[in-house]
Amino acid sequence: MATREELLKDLHEGVVQYEDERVTTAAQQIVDQGYEALDAIMNGLAAGMEEVGELYDRQEYFVPEVLMCADALYAGLAILRPHMPEDSSKINAQVVIGSIQGDVHDIGKNLVKMMFDVAGWKVHDLGRDVPLESFVEKQLDTNAEVVAMSAMMTTTMLGMKKVIAMVKEKNPDCLIMLGGAPVTKDVANLFGADGYADSAGNAVSEGIKMISRLREFQK
Amino acid sequence: MAQLTPKERVMRFLKKEPIDTMPFFSGMGMVVMPGIKKLGVNFASVHTDAQRMAMSAIWSSKLMGFDCVVIPYDMTMESEAMGNEISLYADSEDILYPTIPEKIWKTLDDPKIPTDITKMGRLPIVAEAIKIIKKEAPEYPVGCWQLGPFTQSGQIMELDILLKAVFKQKAKVESILDQLTDMIINTGKFLQDAGCDYITLREPGAAADLLSPRTFNDLIKPRLTRILGAWKSPKLLHMCGKTEPLLEMMAQCGADGITVDINCNVKKGREILGNDTLFMGNMDTYKMTCDPETPEQTTIEHVKEIIDSGIDAVMPGCDIWPDIKEENMLAAVKTTHEYGKKPSPAVGRI
Repeated sequence: MATREELLKDLHEGVVQYEDERVTTAAQQIVDQGYEALDAIMNGLAAGMEEVGELYDRQEYFVPEVLMCADALYAGLAILRPHMPEDSSKINAQVVIGSIQGDVHDIGKNLVKMMFDVAGWKVHDLGRDVPLESFVEKQLDTNAEVVAMSAMMTTTMLGMKKVIAMVKEKNPDCLIMLGGAPVTKDVANLFGADGYADSAGNAVSEGIKMISRLREFQK
Repeated sequence: MAQLTPKERVMRFLKKEPIDTMPFFSGMGMVVMPGIKKLGVNFASVHTDAQRMAMSAIWSSKLMGFDCVVIPYDMTMESEAMGNEISLYADSEDILYPTIPEKIWKTLDDPKIPTDITKMGRLPIVAEAIKIIKKEAPEYPVGCWQLGPFTQSGQIMELDILLKAVFKQKAKVESILDQLTDMIINTGKFLQDAGCDYITLREPGAAADLLSPRTFNDLIKPRLTRILGAWKSPKLLHMCGKTEPLLEMMAQCGADGITVDINCNVKKGREILGNDTLFMGNMDTYKMTCDPETPEQTTIEHVKEIIDSGIDAVMPGCDIWPDIKEENMLAAVKTTHEYGKKPSPAVGRI
């Protein structure tokens, strides 16, 4: 029988080396041997993704590698998530996420989505090329704490401003997160957003850093 | 010597011959709302009608003082010609470029890319628009562009499938890139035969924040080299995003000039490229020419700084966002023309 430490190592290294099979085998053993799923997600899968973020920052990994690591992480998450006791997650938050109308790019959006998935949030993924009103409608329907929008092009970025105004008018407490290549801190401030990531690369980096902060919180 | 026309200025510049002053031109979209409003048409309609495309390009340049016209405006033309449907957003109040909402090819085995797409979709419209521009505004050089094979592959398939396959199914990715390379060569020749005066190969999808420089060297560079080798001069290579680690390789691809965006430190870039390479960039196309909060003086200083950094021509780092702040756009062009009277590293003055 593998120890908890050995299995966490398999999850961690399996994510870093994008070995889906190693991850799924270890995840299944976690379940079969009765170890805690949340512990495995946070200290195995998420810890592995944190190292992926460091490799990306050091330019040893690039987007193809990160996407493969994300696949490995999701393969493990699919096995572990159903075994998390209802009350074990302290977080019951919801996020509405999507790429804005006119934008069919969704790689950055999907990586940020992963961050919320790992953290146990309920994710309402509207997909891409999402009409502005849909963000607002979904937020009102679900009362989600966060609306996260991505735009890869300057030409679509301006739509974000309208969504922020519409959401904040109806629900001033909702946090808005912006991401995408043309979005800078200045733009985010100007539009009235609460957080931002300014490139697909930064979405990777920032998303993973948010996982780290959540892991800290969990400890 | 009398002042050069925009066409004389740009064409001489691209041959590194002495000019009167620095041109303000681009290899990418330069259509702006004042030019479209002058025609009294909406944004969505300039992509599908040769007359509107040509005249909106001409008016944009006339009103802003640009030294070129560039067509077409959107990145979906080739993908549409290969069978994908586009969203034109004809009813939207916002300025939205056409996109491909759903790509017909779902797996790496699906794409069957025709080499000749020039009679398909909207490609014939571009040839017609070039002819209209040559007749109506012969004083302007006509710039056209093609996406590079990696960026174009993202218009015909989901990019994440391709990115993940770069390692795991390399041969299939290479086959798709080779087919696209043939298509791009052929389409570029078609645009040149139709009268385009200079052509730009745009490969932003392969920048160093997405792919490693090693992958660029292995997978992208040979194909960019093949395309540029098949096209006649003048021809430019543009990349945006993180480009400093790629500049040396970009310079080996056979283009007559290299263009970059705001993410590149052009001073360092010039050191890497040396003084003989035509090097253009890297105006911030949102902050400096669109953001209503940016004072005109900030744009003027930005342009001067770019020129002082050792660039040969101030060029927008991307398509100009059409809804410009007019006074800033005019100031950028004016500053380029006035402050750019002294020789640049690769181009002398008359």
